[in-house]
Amino acid sequence: MIDAMNNSFFQFTAITAVFLSAVLLHITKRNSTAVSLYFIQSLAVAALLFRPLFENFSLAVLLMAGLTLAIKAAVAPLFFSRLIKRHQLKFSASTYLNTPLTLIVIAALAALTNSRIFSHIASIDPDNKKILGLAIAVILVSFFLIINRKGAVSQIIGILSLENGIVAFALFSGLEQSPALQIGVIFDLFVWVIIAAVFISMIYKQFGSLDVTELKHLKE
Amino acid sequence: MQELILSQTVFFAVLALFGLGAISSLFFRKDDKLANLAGSFFAILGSLLGIVYAVAALYSDTSIFYEMKSSFPLLSYNFNIDRLAAFFIFIISLISLFCSIYGAGYIKHFYGKYNIGTLGFFYNLFIAGMLLVVSSSNILFFLIAWEIMSLASYFLVIYERDKQENIKAGFLYFVMTHIGTAFIILALLLLYKFAGSFDFLAIKEAVGSIPPLAKDAIFILAFIGFGTKAGIIPMHIWLPAAHPAAPSHVSALMSGVMIKTGIYMMIRIFFDILPNAPVWWGTVILICGATSALLGVLYALTEHDIKRLLAYHSIENIGIILLGLGSALVFAALNMKSFAALALIASLFHILNHAVFKSLLFLGAGSVISKTHTRNIEEYGGLIKHMPQTALFFLAGSMAISALPPFNGFFSEWLTFQALFEGIKSMSSFYRWIFVFSAGSLVLTSGLALACFVKAFGLTFLARPRSEAVKHAKESSFSLRLGMATLAVLCLLLGLLSGFLFAIFNKILQGIKSFGDYDPALVVSQNHLISVNGGFSSISAPAIFAVLILAGIAAFAIIRLISKDQKVKIGATWDCGTNLGPRMEITSTGFSRTIIMIFKGILKPSKQAGIEYSDANMRYFPKSRTMVFEISDVYKKYFYKPLYSFVFKISARVKKIQSGNVNAYVLYIFMALILLLFFAV
Repeated sequence: MIDAMNNSFFQFTAITAVFLSAVLLHITKRNSTAVSLYFIQSLAVAALLFRPLFENFSLAVLLMAGLTLAIKAAVAPLFFSRLIKRHQLKFSASTYLNTPLTLIVIAALAALTNSRIFSHIASIDPDNKKILGLAIAVILVSFFLIINRKGAVSQIIGILSLENGIVAFALFSGLEQSPALQIGVIFDLFVWVIIAAVFISMIYKQFGSLDVTELKHLKE
Repeated sequence: MQELILSQTVFFAVLALFGLGAISSLFFRKDDKLANLAGSFFAILGSLLGIVYAVAALYSDTSIFYEMKSSFPLLSYNFNIDRLAAFFIFIISLISLFCSIYGAGYIKHFYGKYNIGTLGFFYNLFIAGMLLVVSSSNILFFLIAWEIMSLASYFLVIYERDKQENIKAGFLYFVMTHIGTAFIILALLLLYKFAGSFDFLAIKEAVGSIPPLAKDAIFILAFIGFGTKAGIIPMHIWLPAAHPAAPSHVSALMSGVMIKTGIYMMIRIFFDILPNAPVWWGTVILICGATSALLGVLYALTEHDIKRLLAYHSIENIGIILLGLGSALVFAALNMKSFAALALIASLFHILNHAVFKSLLFLGAGSVISKTHTRNIEEYGGLIKHMPQTALFFLAGSMAISALPPFNGFFSEWLTFQALFEGIKSMSSFYRWIFVFSAGSLVLTSGLALACFVKAFGLTFLARPRSEAVKHAKESSFSLRLGMATLAVLCLLLGLLSGFLFAIFNKILQGIKSFGDYDPALVVSQNHLISVNGGFSSISAPAIFAVLILAGIAAFAIIRLISKDQKVKIGATWDCGTNLGPRMEITSTGFSRTIIMIFKGILKPSKQAGIEYSDANMRYFPKSRTMVFEISDVYKKYFYKPLYSFVFKISARVKKIQSGNVNAYVLYIFMALILLLFFAV
């Protein structure tokens, strides 16, 4: 009983950390802070993946969780940190909405999570309804981060944060797939991070800034 | 033996031969001769085997079903060959055989200019696609086959890619055929939605679960979709552009066979899958058929381009086929099965006849074009002296399409008339007038078709040459003549054997759900007397043939008798002291001008006269006079152009959402996600 309570507390703490880091990603203006927040978020997701190993050890799950930790909490942040250093990209480009308005939209999105639409989805697993609600909130807030930010680094971190939200949702809703498939997804993510890093460099070289609104000049 | 022929192995061997033709032609693409040999050889072999297979299937008592599972859950490569499908396999294989024989010689004039391997590849793929269309029994598989057929024919249309007009024609065909496909997909998806299966046989069984309103929607969508492929007015605009652009033996296949796949699917859906259709379905088809037939022949009359003229005649003949089809649907809806069968037999017979004479005419036109290097009738003339055999074959085709006895076209049109007359006789007021309008339209169409082919044959083969190329023209090579000769003989044979063929058509109809067992309104006696509705009308093909032969002999004898004591003196034609020249001959425009002026309300001709004087002060002696006589394309002007402008305006507005801003695009995704969730829950 105590074990179950501990487990539930651990899970709730981890998903709260994931959610809070997604919210803080909206507030921070420094790119390095955004990378650190993503690191924390990924660490929380990896912790969630490691947790079942304490009850039933499985080599495949260990490998999958280890790879997630390595790619999300080590390789990706490292890539972005180097990129920021190389191009001296200290601050993220501007946002469409100012901070108070951004916080209001985040609050609205969090409220939407508890609406009729999403409460149906969160009820997939009634035991984890609150956690699933938070995971959906992470997805929506990350989506909003991609929409609201003009900087390429913030947008890419937003996409990675969105992916963390989806992983958390899948984990608690029982939609987990086989470890082999999850490893495949991680590999996919790894390739994507590399491509995104190259893409950021190309945008910077072409336009001298990371403002994605400049991309519209590529239109004929 | 029949069991062996109808085995899965033989059927797949037919398809495999065309597959081999496509691949081997592409393999030898660097050697024109080898590529032509490989492509034509396998196409001929595949067609021959296809004919054998189709004949065996026509005489089989049961439908043949082959099944091949695929790794995709909803798709299965199911084939269902009932007698109706076998009949179309027969037509496709028959015409492919003669077109391939012809093509083997015709392709030679492309050597060194275009890639022969590519032509052989798409040609074989095109025939295989058509065979798959009429034999597939799964909606998804059918759509794949339909797309293979459409895309292969598109590449054949743009084969002579150096000509800008061919690329334009290809683009128009590509757009129109895919608009048609969109309608077809919608119709078939509606069938799937209510029947719960992609298999045509399963849909047929579950027809009771389809509500009447959905059936009506399926009818409209399928009629527009398949009608676009068939070239029904006003969805026809691609046809006069695309058919002439393709190499002539491909034009023959497209005009003779491909457009009939649309008609095949109409028969399949309206009679077999969705039986007990409401009467308005048939009425709509009748009106569309009558309009297409009449307008098709009127537009053909205005043409100078021989292949465009023939293409417009395809629209006319599709109209005639639809008259039979529409009448059959009206009769079936009113539970007059015997007359419905009579009308559908007329339609099926005309499908076969049109395939034969239209491919013959396209092949004949191809022979002329290959020697004169122009499609303009105004530049022909006197070709009968240089190409006598081609002239004879073209004449046979012209007589057949003009419904002159004893050729095949006469008998199918006669039967169509009988179906329409039965409608006039047995229907109440409103429907009677529809049948009166249809019969009137067919009468007018038949007369105008005859006038049109008097013009086409007369201006092409008779009188004096109107260009240098004609003076140097020579008869076509053996393979071209062989292809045409066999089709010309078939035009005659199909007429003579019409009584025998009706027994086969009756068998085909017995396999269609709307018919089953019925009392045939069409009876053929042992002495080949074809009798409709217990003596309402009757005809005998051998008797007509015998009378014509006797009349010919009698005429010959009378002429000999009268002229036996007369001396024949040959001299130059007197022409008021001037030299005879091509300018003294009637032109294509001159020939059709009177008819165009009669129908000026429909055709909207425009006349522009120009005159230049030698001396500006004295206007008695003009230096030159010009006259431009044009027919405006009313469909483009009043339907397609306004539609294009409307779509263009909408697109320009919709384009604004494509701002180039990544954030905006993600916002669209986000909103779409929320909306989808909102509607899903």
